[in-house]
Amino acid sequence: MTTATYTIDAMNVTPAASPVRTPKIGRAVKAEWTKLRTLTSTWRTVVIATVLSVALGAILCLSQVQQWTSMTAQQHRTFDPTSCSLFGVVFVGAMMLAALGVRSVTAEYSTGMIRSTFTATPTRRRVLAAKAGVTAAFVFPVALLADVVSFEVGQRVFTGKHLQASLSHPGVLQAVVFGAVAVSLTAVLAVGLGGLIRHTAGATTALVLLIVGGVTLGQLLPAGLRQYVPGTAFQAAVTVNHSPGLLKPGTAVAVLAIYAAITLAAASIRIAHRDA
Amino acid sequence: MIEAKHLTKRYGKTVAVDEVSFTVKPGQVTGFLGPNGAGKSTTMRMILGLDAPTSGEVRVDGKAYHQLGDPLRSVGALLDAKAIVGGRSAANHLMWLADSNGIARRRVSEVLDIVGLGDVAGKKVGTFSLGMNQRLGIAGALLGDPETLMFDEPINGLDPEGILWIRNFMKALAAEGRTVFLSSHLMSEMAQTADHLIVIGRGRIIADAGTDEFINRHTAASVRVRAVEQNVLAEALTRRGALIDHGPDGAMAVTGMDSAAIGGVAHTHAVTLIELAPLGSSLEDAYFDLTQHETDYAAAQLVGATQGA
Repeated sequence: MTTATYTIDAMNVTPAASPVRTPKIGRAVKAEWTKLRTLTSTWRTVVIATVLSVALGAILCLSQVQQWTSMTAQQHRTFDPTSCSLFGVVFVGAMMLAALGVRSVTAEYSTGMIRSTFTATPTRRRVLAAKAGVTAAFVFPVALLADVVSFEVGQRVFTGKHLQASLSHPGVLQAVVFGAVAVSLTAVLAVGLGGLIRHTAGATTALVLLIVGGVTLGQLLPAGLRQYVPGTAFQAAVTVNHSPGLLKPGTAVAVLAIYAAITLAAASIRIAHRDA
Repeated sequence: MIEAKHLTKRYGKTVAVDEVSFTVKPGQVTGFLGPNGAGKSTTMRMILGLDAPTSGEVRVDGKAYHQLGDPLRSVGALLDAKAIVGGRSAANHLMWLADSNGIARRRVSEVLDIVGLGDVAGKKVGTFSLGMNQRLGIAGALLGDPETLMFDEPINGLDPEGILWIRNFMKALAAEGRTVFLSSHLMSEMAQTADHLIVIGRGRIIADAGTDEFINRHTAASVRVRAVEQNVLAEALTRRGALIDHGPDGAMAVTGMDSAAIGGVAHTHAVTLIELAPLGSSLEDAYFDLTQHETDYAAAQLVGATQGA
């Protein structure tokens, strides 16, 4: 820190607030983007999520290849090389990237910086919408990259058994893209959870329960409802070989979008009506 | 310009701010003075639209806070210097604030230079001392070059150099015609910085006056008097409107009359004076007297403590 001899003469170097023309929501978006990209942890998350996604996908593919001869004919029929290779993105990458959405809200509540945010942007639903939009847009290309690399690595593993799929096969490219869309929607859901729960640990736990835990807990639900569990819908979004008990990929994405929208709306209402 | 009208905040049965009305005028430093827990921070949060008043209203430049377009250009505030995500550099922290209100990014380095943080612009905020955080918070408040500035306990935890810097800085901002609203629980600090005082205790305004006027009114000096015919003198002084406190050592503290007048009364009644000594009452005492009735825990319950909770 330099000395305390600064005088007020320095105050008006820039003549009173030279305005930069951006629409109101655009300003909130710009601020949230600046927040997200200026944290080292954001980029660390990107790298780790991508590496783990690819690695876990590859490991599952390898184990499938090894067990191939001991699998039943039924299992052979329903085998889906695409969704299998995307396993790491669905179960780990999605969670880590969506957690950026949780933290964009909860880190500000836990430090108290949320007051600065709401003082700068008093329309709170605009703040939450900007956080959701920025996180979703940011994780999409990352998830898409993780999807494509995981897919290519996985198919390389399957080549030995001639089980591989190709992006040119029907429904495969869609599954790869839907995988990234589902990650973005999960990030929006995560921002909503952050706003509702406001504690990093609690909101992250809720996120994991909904996506990963939901698949196991879903077994408790009647068969017709099981497919609507968020984690199961996520899986359905990246599935090419349509199997009974899973939603069609397009429907699955729509279901995830509805969950994200409801959670975000609930968080907006909650945040708008409480003291910050 | 900040105008509060019948501003009230209740949390369940607890009344944090009770029918508070005041005006903070431009061109002067207004001190918002009161013990911890008196309702200063709650009032400031209501001004900024962070807490919703139970009843009443507060306006900045005639508008409710959420009606101000790009509020940072109208009001700059520092509530809690430590309330900041530590992983960003000082410059990046100010950058998102600038972006949120469409303020040119070059303003970031300007305000960092103004508060003397130019050299550490790229350092992570998490490594900052409290004093540096306070300066960063002030830089954030100045970002939009606002007419109204609000600081909650800005000198807390600062070293003497930092306190002097803030004091002069507040005065300079007011001298430029800005509205400067500054809270503190330290009377002595406010006496040196503020032109006007709004004193709050237990959620109520208990004084709203110019600092000089406040000091004159509340630091009525007393005179220590001992006399051979103590009771005669006491009676005579009381008749003339003086207030008398009988001390444990047999002396009395007389307020409302100066030494010359007391000497005159003694002469008239042929009282032999043993001691006649003017005592200055400190401003801190006056403030304490004024607020102790309004404080949750009166001094009597905190033997030996000088500040209520």
